[in-house]
Amino acid sequence: MELYGKMAATQDNKQKENSDQNFDYMFKLLIIGNSSVGKTSFLFRYADDTFTSAFVSTVGIDFKVKTVYKNDKRIKLQIWDTAGQERYRTITTAYYRGAMGFILMYDITNEESFAAVQDWATQIKTYSWDNAQVILAGNKCDMEEERIVSVDSGRLLAEQLGFEFFETSAKDNINVKQTFDRLVDIICDKMSDTLEADPAAAGGTPSARLTETPAPPQPSDCSC
Amino acid sequence: MTDTMFGSENEQWVCPNDRQLMLRAKLHTGWSIHTFQSERQRKAQALEKRELDLIMSVIHRAEQLELIEQHRIGRLVERLDNMRSSAMGNGLSQCLLCGEVFGLLGSSSVLCLDCCMKVCTKCGIETTAGGQKRTQWLCKICSEQREVWKRSGAWFYKALPKHIRPIKDSILDNRKPVIERGEQLPVARSAPISYTWAQSRVYLSESDGSDAELSECSSDRKTFASETNQRRDSESSGGQVQTPQSSFTSPTRGNVHIESPSSLVSEQSSSSSFNPGLEDEVIDHSRTLLTPPALSRAGSLRSSSTSQKSEGPQADANRDEDDLDQAFGATALVASKKEEEPDVEGYDSDDSTTLGTLDFSLLYDQENNALHCTINKAKLPVPRYKKGLKPMDHNGLSDPYVKLHLLPGASKANKLRTKTLRNTLNPVWSETLTYYGITDEDMVRKTLRISVCDEDKFRHNEFIGETRIPLKKLKPNQTKNFSNCLEKQLPIDKTDDKSLEERGRIMISLKYSSQKSGLVVGIIRCAHLAAMDANGFSDPYVKTYLKPDENKKSKHKTAVKKKTLNPEFNEEFFYEIKYADLSKKTLEVTVWDYDIGKSNDFIGGVSLGINASGERLKHWFDCLKNKDKKIERWHTLTNELPGSGYND
Repeated sequence: MELYGKMAATQDNKQKENSDQNFDYMFKLLIIGNSSVGKTSFLFRYADDTFTSAFVSTVGIDFKVKTVYKNDKRIKLQIWDTAGQERYRTITTAYYRGAMGFILMYDITNEESFAAVQDWATQIKTYSWDNAQVILAGNKCDMEEERIVSVDSGRLLAEQLGFEFFETSAKDNINVKQTFDRLVDIICDKMSDTLEADPAAAGGTPSARLTETPAPPQPSDCSC
Repeated sequence: MTDTMFGSENEQWVCPNDRQLMLRAKLHTGWSIHTFQSERQRKAQALEKRELDLIMSVIHRAEQLELIEQHRIGRLVERLDNMRSSAMGNGLSQCLLCGEVFGLLGSSSVLCLDCCMKVCTKCGIETTAGGQKRTQWLCKICSEQREVWKRSGAWFYKALPKHIRPIKDSILDNRKPVIERGEQLPVARSAPISYTWAQSRVYLSESDGSDAELSECSSDRKTFASETNQRRDSESSGGQVQTPQSSFTSPTRGNVHIESPSSLVSEQSSSSSFNPGLEDEVIDHSRTLLTPPALSRAGSLRSSSTSQKSEGPQADANRDEDDLDQAFGATALVASKKEEEPDVEGYDSDDSTTLGTLDFSLLYDQENNALHCTINKAKLPVPRYKKGLKPMDHNGLSDPYVKLHLLPGASKANKLRTKTLRNTLNPVWSETLTYYGITDEDMVRKTLRISVCDEDKFRHNEFIGETRIPLKKLKPNQTKNFSNCLEKQLPIDKTDDKSLEERGRIMISLKYSSQKSGLVVGIIRCAHLAAMDANGFSDPYVKTYLKPDENKKSKHKTAVKKKTLNPEFNEEFFYEIKYADLSKKTLEVTVWDYDIGKSNDFIGGVSLGINASGERLKHWFDCLKNKDKKIERWHTLTNELPGSGYND
């Protein structure tokens, strides 16, 4: 039953992808975290605005495409959903490179998923680009009675790691859009800063950056 | 350091009981080991085929999206190249894009922030930089370049990603072998297309393929699958035992998992059937695999001794990946690199805005064929010395002087120089330098280059800035004042220099005397001869021939003028010849540098006759048409020796 639904969604996505070629920017995002913290439900809520309580473990990797608008620019988001189980780690870490933004997710009712955030942060540093942006998301904030991790603990950890922080709920659609909008914002800011800080890089040749020693100064004319 | 602090901070959130439980689970001790194994085996057996199909379908979907993206980036790059190739101007006196001429009657110009070329206000885009409140301009090419870097993601990956340009057969042909290769190995199809930014990524994709193949194999043979699981468990367990207390458990675990599929793949490739020697091969392969991490760790320790051991593989991996990424970027940009080289050569944004200004005036005296250049004053920047070089001017001032050259042509032959002013950034020369022998033809073809240099007694004189004036801008007998900004040194066109090198100028007078029935050739003077001696001068004299000359009777020589590049000869030679025969003759004039004790040096020569061209032909015709009239003209000496041998 659910498989048919997934296949139908896949076909719809393919049609959207083929017809949508006129966009300005393409951002690749990745959602990581422990198994069963709600990564797939979070993505389905944002991309399709649907939610299913039944838990189906993600097999390896999956992605969805969504187009958003910011300052009269069309931005195409390719959002990758990863399996949190350890047996798929080899597959999922291969997609860390190429990701411009990460959503690191834990479950506020699961102490173990919060304790693993540091390990996931280390994985991001190991396998991704240095200028990737990260947002820490504490999911399932609708389950207040089962809460184990407090808001202050999450915010404090995010500050220590240098990440932005949101508490979200895929079930009740709390802070789902805000998380993605904020991630897009900080990636756009990073894009502008990169070009303004080093405009010569845009027009320059990569050979200038490959060599460590600066180019020798050009010999000037002699008067003798 | 920071990671260690975070690690220690992180311990606050973990209570000891949970930690002990996690550690026990990782070590597979206690009663949970059997439950864990049986559960894992059950999952592996039930879901392998289905999992593989799901993962492959996602990879296939990503491939299609990636292909569409590559075409989109290719269109962006194609559009940018079209803009570059359609640029018409030179970026100095003309608009870089539309070629419109600047000046009093032309449009006003703005300077592009990126490429430092001049464009008109229609071909430029006004932009306000974030840091500065000042308004900056970008030409449309550089603005489009920035947009391409944003839209293609090159701003993030530090280089243009792989792209497919439209309507190019060569690229389409190149893609066919990739497809064929994909048919042989369906799993490997994703590698060439999806992972093009970094080589390490290709390695990881190979791991993906290995894992998939492993799953296929294990689904067919249950016995082998159980052995595989046991071996994998032992390997991962060994890895964890080695570093149980480390705060970087995840990267270590990841490394172990990357290795195990490779070793298992080597098992399959070595032999399709099982044999007793299988375990030995596994051991040998594992030894080989264990060596690279140790080497990489030692390398990182060697590069930075202060870093901790646990950070070693991470730091080294990052550094290697950065190098590989840049190398890939270099490969991707090879095609466009050649086009960008002329623009980027010698590019330095600071120099263009702070090279100073120069006030001078030019006057072309048409009657006397003289170009008077009056160098008034300049306003120079404070010189910034390269790092590591000891500054010679400790007070931060310069010893400036001005050099003049006429382009195209030999630099030394037509070089003029002002005196050097000491210790000043606002020099006032008020000095007039004069070029003689400048014809109307020169005024159309020549460009005056004015260079400001800093004289240093012990090193090469430093270039400060230059400006160039096409002489066709000047009107005869009218003084024109300039106040130009100095610019970066531009390359001289070398092809023009190689064709015919100029060696100076010579003033010759011709007159056919009806009374004497012969040609009177007057060698009046020379100007701006090339220096042939070590002292920077020459000892010039002039030889003339009236060719063809069987008996060599027509040779005449002037006196030698010592140590000068602007000699005055004022000598006349007479050639007895009938007027009817004169039109078949050619006058050859050569200038030599006299040297005592060795062969004389050839400086330059010129030919006048029916076969000559330009000013020389006109001079010869004027002589034939106007009998008994003395006609004086300036001519350019070239390094082409007209028929005579080099020796005197």
